[in-house]
Amino acid sequence: MSANRLNVDGIMLFEQPFARVPYEDYRKVFRTSQKYVEKELGAVQTSCGDLSKRVNLGTVTAEDAAKGIDGMIARVETLKRKLSELQDSAGAPTLGVMRERLEHLAQVESIQSTTEPEFARWADVRLDRWLVDWALRNGKEQTARTLAEHKGIQRLVDIDLFSDIRRIEDALRNQSCTEALAWCSENRNALRKIKNTLEFDLRLQEYIELIRTGKRIEAIAYSKKHLIAWQSTHQQQIRTAAALLCFPPKTTCGPYKRLYDKGRWKNLADSFRLAIYNLSTLPTEPLLHLAMYAGLASLKLPTCYDPETRNADCPICDPDLGRLAQEVPFSHHVNSTIVCRLNGKIMDADNMPMAFPQSGQVYSKEALGEMAAKNDGFVTCPRTGEQCEFSALRKVFIS
Amino acid sequence: MDGPLKELAKLEKLTSDTGSSKGKSPSTTTSLDSLLQSLRQARDRLQAGELASADVLSSLSQTVELKKKDVEERQKEIYSCINKYGKALDKKFPTFLPSYPPLFSSSESSIALERTIALHFLRTGQFETAETFIEESGVHVDRRLHDNFIDLHHIITALRQGNIAPALEWTGRNRGFLQSRSSALEFHLHRSQYMHLLLNSGIPTALTYAQSTFPTFFAQHESEIKRLTACMVFLPLTRLKTSPYKDLVSPSIHSDLEPMFAKEYCASLGMSRQVPLRVVGDIGGGGALARIEKGRKVMRERKSEWSQSDELPIEIPLPPENRYHSIFACPVSKEQSTEQNPPMMMSCGHVITKDSLQKLSKPGGRVKCPYCPVESAVTSALRVHF
Ligand SMILES: [Zn+2]
Repeated sequence: MSANRLNVDGIMLFEQPFARVPYEDYRKVFRTSQKYVEKELGAVQTSCGDLSKRVNLGTVTAEDAAKGIDGMIARVETLKRKLSELQDSAGAPTLGVMRERLEHLAQVESIQSTTEPEFARWADVRLDRWLVDWALRNGKEQTARTLAEHKGIQRLVDIDLFSDIRRIEDALRNQSCTEALAWCSENRNALRKIKNTLEFDLRLQEYIELIRTGKRIEAIAYSKKHLIAWQSTHQQQIRTAAALLCFPPKTTCGPYKRLYDKGRWKNLADSFRLAIYNLSTLPTEPLLHLAMYAGLASLKLPTCYDPETRNADCPICDPDLGRLAQEVPFSHHVNSTIVCRLNGKIMDADNMPMAFPQSGQVYSKEALGEMAAKNDGFVTCPRTGEQCEFSALRKVFIS
Repeated sequence: MDGPLKELAKLEKLTSDTGSSKGKSPSTTTSLDSLLQSLRQARDRLQAGELASADVLSSLSQTVELKKKDVEERQKEIYSCINKYGKALDKKFPTFLPSYPPLFSSSESSIALERTIALHFLRTGQFETAETFIEESGVHVDRRLHDNFIDLHHIITALRQGNIAPALEWTGRNRGFLQSRSSALEFHLHRSQYMHLLLNSGIPTALTYAQSTFPTFFAQHESEIKRLTACMVFLPLTRLKTSPYKDLVSPSIHSDLEPMFAKEYCASLGMSRQVPLRVVGDIGGGGALARIEKGRKVMRERKSEWSQSDELPIEIPLPPENRYHSIFACPVSKEQSTEQNPPMMMSCGHVITKDSLQKLSKPGGRVKCPYCPVESAVTSALRVHF
């Protein structure tokens, strides 16, 4: 059945962030290793050059020169230790996560049909991943951790990323930019690439807070150090910020009142969340919501909301999911599909729809035939109570 | 996933100490070790005073330069490998997930969603996660339902271990309900037990069991009971496995009991046979979102708005097990039937909607079926219910 064929592209639409998050982590690990190398080997090179010069000038004894080399040895040893620690604590584990995730995705690529038991197992894990993502985004960290631990999927979910997000957001909510600024500097290049200006907004906020607390001189120095660098892109804001020095926090003057507005902290937290999602290609909505939006819309029918035609097996007919489905459009159908309300099977030429002659209630020939076999050829409509002989049922033709 | 996996394998080799031979440049550890060795040699030479200090240092400077370059070369190689991996990911995942305005964020919706998730955990036997979630979200779950799921899980676990007693106790208590659904669950439980006894405890034990349990099911499962007893002549197992009764020794005869039991148990609570969150997630994450986005894109390109914004622009194909309601699309008008415009069956058995019937009717209240030449009275058309 073609409707059961696995739609790999449709599945992969959801998986970009799953593959991308550990990749971004690994890039960070690599940048750290680069910094270590630059710092230590750069220093070794400089001291070797200096020593060489001084030896040539004869201003240093062989013994002192040997001591100088000891210093270089110590640096190279430090570098070796740092690199190996980095590889053990972050490099290798991150590569492991990358591999595990790719292999998890490769698994589904080899499945042909949604009816295979392998798919059911894969989809169970996927739903667990979505639930963890949902829980983490909705501040239910304990649920996320318990679920991930019980299912053994810690490496398939981004608990660390989200606890980082939470830590930085909490700091912003408590009116501290320090953590978010540290994050910006870690990701400066990536942020620049997507033209994100969160860092400016954070700097501006720190500047505003200095003025709010009456530290005008510090504010001017701060502006020189941190705001002027954004002159080419944020000239207007920088000018307004400069003028803020003349307005007290209680001002009623529009643009300055807005700068003093404490609501800016919440906006900063939101911008930060947006920026970090953006870097990890995470959607702004939980993955579960996106899947549910499409899934609910594919199933939703007006008949789901009619007590007469309610089907306990239908997800939309469930009161809670039906409530959620109110936010999505109805499904669209060009062809008729007649489903038997007795056995749930789809009726067709081989299993024709049959109507009770008085009430017009339609069921499948198969289900009615089974009923007739048990009741001496008589059938009874479970909805209307109409009873007749099987032979009195009318064949229904759906073109 | 072949593309990214290939690049990942390269990256793993480049960054592990043991894979040094794989890169064009020596591994970082090799370079650093060799640098350390040179440094120590230089120090020893200086201390021994064998050579002129200036010579020692000028050669050392060269070594430092060289090794630094080696390390940087390796870093460059890793960097380019990381970038290739990123490109392989871009190729594999060419489309970003769409952005939507916040969904399910009203307080009614978020309560509905939280309850759905809590029930999902309970239903799938994740009790500890459920407890944590209920505590963390404060969502209210009916205590009776909660206990029911614990009961269900207990029975399923027993079934998995080959113990059908708790399941039988439940079917005994719910016999009326199961009969109204013509469910074969209870018989299938006994069938599993009987086959287990036949293969593990021998014919006499199995027959005693059969005599005490099968007679009540004889009316409904006569032919199966005959097969169950007839299969004995093919024992032992190796022969039975190639006999016409081989289906009776398939593991599915036992393993199918779990889903079958869960289905009946949930039905007795008025709940669906499938796990609803899985159904919705599998459809949404199995191509529906991609199709909806594509449909929307086409609409945007044609600069045409959806004629009905409360209906999807395209049809999402659904597997038969996910068709829960009948849909009648009138073959004449192509419109879906509604309460106001219901499906009507003409005397020939063909069905069209009421509006189409009116439009096709001729003076005198007769209508000619557009699919067969039979003419009938409009009033003789019967409203049908699917
Ligand atoms: Zn429904």
